[in-house]
Amino acid sequence: MSDAQPTDFDPVEPNTGEGFEPVEVFPESDDFDLRPGADSCYKCSVCDTNCPVAEVDDDFPGPKFQGPEQWRLKQTDDDYEIDDSVMSCSNCMRCDSACPSGVPLSQMHNTARGEYVEEQMDKLSVEYVRNRILSNYRLSASIASKVPRLANFAMNFGPARWVMEKTMGVTSERDFPEFAQQTFREWWAARGGADASRANAVESRERRGEPADADKKVAYFHGCYSNYNTPDVGKAMVHVFEHFGYEVVAPEQKCSGTPMFANGMLDDARRHAEVNVSSMSDLVDQGYDAIASCTSCSMALRQEYPELFDIDGIEKVASNTFEAIEYLRIHEDVKGEIESAEVSGELAQEFAYHAPCHARNQGLERQAVELFRDLDGVGVEDVGDSCSGISGTYGWKEEKYEKSMEIGDEMFEHMEHAEGETGMTECPTCAMQMEHGTGYEIRHPLELVEAAVVE
Amino acid sequence: MASTPHIAVIGGGSTGVGIARDLAMRGLDVTLVEQGNLTHGTTGRMHGLLHSGGRYAVSDQASATECIEENRVLRDIASHCVEMTGGMFVKRPEDSEEYFQEKLQGCKECGIPADVVSGAEARQMEPHLAKDVEKAITVPDGAIDPFRLVVANAASAQEHGARIETHSKVTDLLVEDDEVVGLEVEHASGPGKRVHGTEGGTEEIRADYVVNATGAWAGRIGDMADLDIAVRPSKGVMTIMNIRQVDTVINRCRPKGDADIVVPHETTAILGTTDEEVEDPEDYPEEQWEVDLMIETLSELIPMLEEARTIRSFWGVRPLYEPPDVGSEDPTDITRDFFLLDHDERDDLPGMTSIVGGKFTTYRMMGEQISDHVCGKFGIDAECRTADEPLPGSEDFSVLRDYMDEFGLRSPIGRRSVERLGSRADEVLKTEGPNPTVCECEGVTRAEIQDAISQSGSDLNAVRIRTRASMGNCQGGICTHRMASELHGEYDEGIVREAWDELLQERWKGQRHALWGEQLSQAALNYALHATTQNRDNDPAGGDPVDFAAFDSGVDHTDDSGTADVAADGGKPDGD
Repeated sequence: MSDAQPTDFDPVEPNTGEGFEPVEVFPESDDFDLRPGADSCYKCSVCDTNCPVAEVDDDFPGPKFQGPEQWRLKQTDDDYEIDDSVMSCSNCMRCDSACPSGVPLSQMHNTARGEYVEEQMDKLSVEYVRNRILSNYRLSASIASKVPRLANFAMNFGPARWVMEKTMGVTSERDFPEFAQQTFREWWAARGGADASRANAVESRERRGEPADADKKVAYFHGCYSNYNTPDVGKAMVHVFEHFGYEVVAPEQKCSGTPMFANGMLDDARRHAEVNVSSMSDLVDQGYDAIASCTSCSMALRQEYPELFDIDGIEKVASNTFEAIEYLRIHEDVKGEIESAEVSGELAQEFAYHAPCHARNQGLERQAVELFRDLDGVGVEDVGDSCSGISGTYGWKEEKYEKSMEIGDEMFEHMEHAEGETGMTECPTCAMQMEHGTGYEIRHPLELVEAAVVE
Repeated sequence: MASTPHIAVIGGGSTGVGIARDLAMRGLDVTLVEQGNLTHGTTGRMHGLLHSGGRYAVSDQASATECIEENRVLRDIASHCVEMTGGMFVKRPEDSEEYFQEKLQGCKECGIPADVVSGAEARQMEPHLAKDVEKAITVPDGAIDPFRLVVANAASAQEHGARIETHSKVTDLLVEDDEVVGLEVEHASGPGKRVHGTEGGTEEIRADYVVNATGAWAGRIGDMADLDIAVRPSKGVMTIMNIRQVDTVINRCRPKGDADIVVPHETTAILGTTDEEVEDPEDYPEEQWEVDLMIETLSELIPMLEEARTIRSFWGVRPLYEPPDVGSEDPTDITRDFFLLDHDERDDLPGMTSIVGGKFTTYRMMGEQISDHVCGKFGIDAECRTADEPLPGSEDFSVLRDYMDEFGLRSPIGRRSVERLGSRADEVLKTEGPNPTVCECEGVTRAEIQDAISQSGSDLNAVRIRTRASMGNCQGGICTHRMASELHGEYDEGIVREAWDELLQERWKGQRHALWGEQLSQAALNYALHATTQNRDNDPAGGDPVDFAAFDSGVDHTDDSGTADVAADGGKPDGD
């Protein structure tokens, strides 16, 4: 407000002279007015029929209510509250891809949830504290990975878990993911960082008959999970990209914000997004593309950031972000190389592949199946289009655990029916759910690409 | 006078119910008759502006002064019908600075609180205003729901003993010994028709005095007693947007012209309007160019209107009147003031007064003056209390409450329900049984629908105006059959079907003028849903009651003479 008004404002003599325009007409805060999004909704309810939570939770009114209906009924004045049912949305974002009419459903949900948490949620409540801790997984993980052995023991120590469930509402049904003895970044630094990667890339280019100075460089957004829990995925990414002649950098980064959006912690998400956008946009300016190995991370950078925040460079980062395999399929003949390759050893087997909801939203749900179709020694079977049910932090909440497993039932069943006894997916939390429901070991498609093409 | 005089009021618009309420509160016997629903005429077809008086502050200061007075009264007595949005007169670069100053001055002269704000400030209040809006005058305009207001007035009149008859068309005025002594009405009720109040046929209503408050229809009533009441009906189009692009009433600050106002109304915004004289208040062309003009012209003030979704358009006819000797050519020059035509003084026919002209915002003041006039006829010296006594629903209701928890409703639905019901919320929303949402667009629950049915019977359009059910973006696509189902139990199948048909037709009527873009998709979906799941395109039952019992025992298989030639899967019974 104050930006726009001269301090000596006189209501009878308004400052309407030429050239006077306020610094910011539409205050660029997080409280977007999303009512116009309701114009696109014609109430067909396809979103509701595609919502995995509405299917198992009779108290959840579904995305049509959460999104276009609530926004249209709501008014901009402050005493219009957000219905608390928005906290039961798992942010799988399936409604976005289900909608035939382009209603910005997940943006409406994320914004409403942020407003609910900010304005209406008791900041001293167990639920708030629990959600805050869950959504700031990066912080817990960074501490735990300092002492991975101790953390792995403590986090899955029965009595401790019992206490966590009783006092914080974190389900004791699930096993906490193991922390790696060496994080991806530790490995990366020990390996020589960007310089080593450049050298490897140049070597590959020579081998591939490409110019040594080819403009092939990517900035890896590894996310928290590849860093602290599954560095093998991160290593596979680096190896594969270097194999195709790309220099990789691993810029400073924080959490993508995915678990924060899902818990309405938009302030936290913004803080992390600012760091990510700042470091990625610098690199994009230098000709790098941003690559994620986690489909939720790429989703956040591509869609949620520009929908929810106004940060300098955000659009540029969004339009230059890709999922790793997607990127290779665009720029390289990765399928050709895979067709002529053969896998032997521990990955020479049948996989039960589950496409994460967030991959689906980016149009990537068939890429693994298509890519590995003609790979000798390997079979990849799609286990269908259901949601795994965990949706990041959703399935970790004590009160949501049963529902999460009910949503996952279809996937578990199809995995059991699939030939393979190893699972495959791009999403770390889908992987947790797959493992939890079937006991299978779960691999990332990048690991298989690595096994196929990197010698 | 030995007995209480009985007054017949013709017309169930704002003027009619305002008069009926006033007279009833003063202790007179009142019967109000209306040919359709309450608000059937012009009242139900206005943009819902609670005037601050700003629009008349230059051209008609007497009206402007009345408006600001009544604006304050209505905020008080009709709080559940009013949303004080505030209003602005915005000036674009091409609009006259001189007129802007006149407007500001005029507001001050009429006692209308008015302030100038810069374009930047105006855009801070309303971010979607055009970037080149230079400045604006803020005034206390508001939004008012005409349906709710009229229903509340009628309910109050009833509480004070009045009889309200809707769907009762006046077919004749009874004139005896050169005096109007009552009316003859035809009740659209009885078997087959939906039942309202008195059932069946025609009725003679004898009255000590008749008030003709039929607005644009006043001439029709006058004709029945050979009175010449030259109302000059003038049509205006209003286009409803799916959402509120603005939360403040936006007026264009220029002398006069079409398409110069946007009123935020409940969940929608209403664009208005045109001013064009028509011959017949019931039969005039509704033309697409009028709608296009609204959107095009008002996009100059709010550019996003160009791309925004409209859900329907409707036309209203202003009951303009001017004394025959004025002779204005252009309907926009005809005064918005009202005229009380005492037919005794004017035409030597005692027993009746007509009221013509006037504005919705000052309906109560008009009612007061007519009631004074009528009371004068009978030497009754009763004080008018309509400015002090709140309408049903607007009684003191300032307690902050947690609607959601109290009524078990989701937050925005509870909020909307309570806004519509005002102080009646407790009584209506506290129900024993489950209370599902019937109309999702407007957040109307079963309890509110049932409340409306208990007031207005089986007429679903009457339920609609009371609740806003079916008035949202799907225009009844998802809820008309649900609303019809709510009639079940009390009303039999034939009545329910007829009410359902009427509501559907009414919803289609306005949508015809919005069939492009998103609303076209909506209409196509509605059509498909209604045709494929409800047989609405070609109902084999054809309106005749269906003998459901015939289906209960299933098909009789004892007769194998080949009547059943199709198997359950659609193939031949003996096919392989």
